[in-house]
Amino acid sequence: MSPLVRKDDDPRNTLEELLQQSRIEELTSEHDGYEDVEPAHSSTAHDFNGHPFPGNHLQPARTQAKPPLPPWLQAATLGLFHEDLTTTTTQAQAKVTKECLPHLTGQDTSGFELNSHGLPHLRRTQHAAFLHAQFEPLPAPYVAIDASRPWFFYWVLSGLSALGEDINPYREPLIATVRPLQNPTGGFGGGHGQLSHCACSYATILALTIADALHVVDRRATWHWLGTLKQPDGGFRMAIGAEEDIRGAYCAMTMLTLLNLPLELPPDSLARTAGLTRFTDKLGEWISHCQTYEGGIAGAPTNEAHGAIPRYLDVPALLAWLAARQTQPEGGFQGRQEKLVDACYSHWVGGCWALITAALQQPPRNSAALWNRAALVRYLLTCCQQPGKKKGGMRDKPSTRPDAYHTLYSLAGLSHAQNVFTYNARAPTTGEGRSLAAFNWAARGPSKEEMRELGVDEEDLVNFVHPVFVIPMAAVERARQEFEDGTL
Amino acid sequence: MGRYSDDPAWADIIPLPTDEGGPNPLAAIAYDDEYAEAMSYLRAVMAANEFSPRILDLTEDLIDMNPAHYTVWLYRAQCLFALKSDLHAELAWLNATALEHQKNYQIWHHRMLVVDVLDSCEGEREFVSRMFELDAKNYHVWSYRQWLVRRFGLWEQGELEFTRDLIEKDVRNNSAWNHRWYVVNGREEREEGEAGGVVGDAAVREREMEFAMQAIEKAPQNQSSWGYLRGIVRKAGLPLQGCKAFVQRFASLEQPDEVRSSYALDFMAEILAEEKGSEQQAALALDMLAQKYDPVRRNYWEYRKGLLGVDAVAA
Repeated sequence: MSPLVRKDDDPRNTLEELLQQSRIEELTSEHDGYEDVEPAHSSTAHDFNGHPFPGNHLQPARTQAKPPLPPWLQAATLGLFHEDLTTTTTQAQAKVTKECLPHLTGQDTSGFELNSHGLPHLRRTQHAAFLHAQFEPLPAPYVAIDASRPWFFYWVLSGLSALGEDINPYREPLIATVRPLQNPTGGFGGGHGQLSHCACSYATILALTIADALHVVDRRATWHWLGTLKQPDGGFRMAIGAEEDIRGAYCAMTMLTLLNLPLELPPDSLARTAGLTRFTDKLGEWISHCQTYEGGIAGAPTNEAHGAIPRYLDVPALLAWLAARQTQPEGGFQGRQEKLVDACYSHWVGGCWALITAALQQPPRNSAALWNRAALVRYLLTCCQQPGKKKGGMRDKPSTRPDAYHTLYSLAGLSHAQNVFTYNARAPTTGEGRSLAAFNWAARGPSKEEMRELGVDEEDLVNFVHPVFVIPMAAVERARQEFEDGTL
Repeated sequence: MGRYSDDPAWADIIPLPTDEGGPNPLAAIAYDDEYAEAMSYLRAVMAANEFSPRILDLTEDLIDMNPAHYTVWLYRAQCLFALKSDLHAELAWLNATALEHQKNYQIWHHRMLVVDVLDSCEGEREFVSRMFELDAKNYHVWSYRQWLVRRFGLWEQGELEFTRDLIEKDVRNNSAWNHRWYVVNGREEREEGEAGGVVGDAAVREREMEFAMQAIEKAPQNQSSWGYLRGIVRKAGLPLQGCKAFVQRFASLEQPDEVRSSYALDFMAEILAEEKGSEQQAALALDMLAQKYDPVRRNYWEYRKGLLGVDAVAA
């Protein structure tokens, strides 16, 4: 990617990771000498607070007193439930805890500049440089992303927007680059000559929305193409002949909404043969079949619950499932039960709090009252920023390399944690046969008090990232206005 | 000068070079010559909608270079079926490719299409088990295994034992727990009216609860086994109280310093919240979670406490 990154990052090592949504999350299963995480020194919680030895706290303060550790990082909490049986899962978890703890507790600050709360600043300049560099020519081994290159357009532009960078210089190159990816029968493929695919089309359309270039999209053809993906059982395929899963439903509904396309199915849609007339017909039922006994939502009916998207649902069970995804002690999110923390779920799970708050019968004051925002901020700032003076980008966890995917979803996670998003339940959800619900979100930034609780300074704040579309709020509003009259 | 341009078998094809949209495309890949050439032939034959044996060679070549190429997989599948190709040979090739590219999405969908047409799942479960030896939580492989069970009606042909063995190996393998749930309840959930699973069959329910409880004894701090147990009780519509004596052994309010599992304490809070007049106790359990046993989720526990309708707790 960037000359900066290419020097020491062999792309071959990271290609699999860059691309595929489910990457290798497990570390090797051999027990390599890591004991289960021990309580740091003794059983008294206070010893761990930067005063490992008796009397240390009496020495003159070096520069500035370290702020006390939060409850979930206190020795007493870390020492809970240790006698439990060791298995492959616990070994992998112990290894991750071990690599994260020094960063989380501030023992190892990776040479980062610290903010007024003792946490690393958000390294805006380095992350922006890292994202800009993704748009440079890629060496041959990057052929592995040849079928998913549009994701890069989206991750980079959305990430840069979250950091407040000017993306306008990329507008014309983006328009030129995606033109050969659009098929006359509707949708975008991963490259020239590739079949239209939901993920590629979703990513391209979001990138074009950010760049204010949606005029490029053939909306009528897109509507027809989406009609071919809608299935008689209510779900969506990812491409013609491809798998049917929840990503298809999410990507398709996102595109229909952003482009203000009719919810009426095109006349030639196969789903019409089963009596369906609208894109939303049987969709709620289909998604409800994806909710498992755990409370989460699987990729397809009966599959294991996996952290991504959310009224056909057992909302309290879903809430419990989401809450349980925040990992102890790392504070980030895992994608499934008994799996490892990964920064990308800062969005895939962290982005659900605002959404579920809107669905609760007895909602709290705001979504912030449901989860631990400070823990996520701490995880992202201490564990997920790539160290090195000139290096940037964000990563899954300390033992991994940064990439555009983790950089965007980490920044989005920061936005979910720092800001409060509210849904206007009085606004219309449909109008003239179109889907409007996703346009009813408003955002506000943190108060001084909230910033103190979260451990962030002014310069660590990111711009609002829309909780549904994961692009700037302003870009969503612009798209809504652009297609308001609804003509195709 | 290339594998295809030098081959007389491809002489009738005029390759279609890539259109990068202009001189400065974003994130342009510096394709090596082999891939660029193969892609230019792919574009040409796809534009002509050709289905012939040489397409199988071309697509295999491309998949070797880029296994995540969904277009190539979909085109290959169409071609295989149009030509009525040897699907056993296809599976043999897929086995090697799957082992080499474990996290690939497309390959499992392709395999499903092939095995569906073959109408036989011989050898499939054995192969899938090999994949689980490499990664016992591979999401795509588990989806495929569920499909096999459904498509070939394998509900009572060793699947339960298979999950037992995997859970024996790692009691926290949530994927294996999820598959067990599917094997036990899947048929009833899909074919309405069938009475079985943990709802319709008391013996099955007791067996599964016992299985979960034994797993909990082995490793109390395990979300998977607690989730399975609670899932059964909830689905069967039974009062949670039935589990109280068992849960108490892992989380008792009388011994607030000896809680052996935060999941047990959460379960206890739910049991108490359902009991008339025990709201204060439920609040106490939630306080214990918020203060001591699971402080990272303090806000969530406080929210749950708010739902109880009690103000303060005399702790």
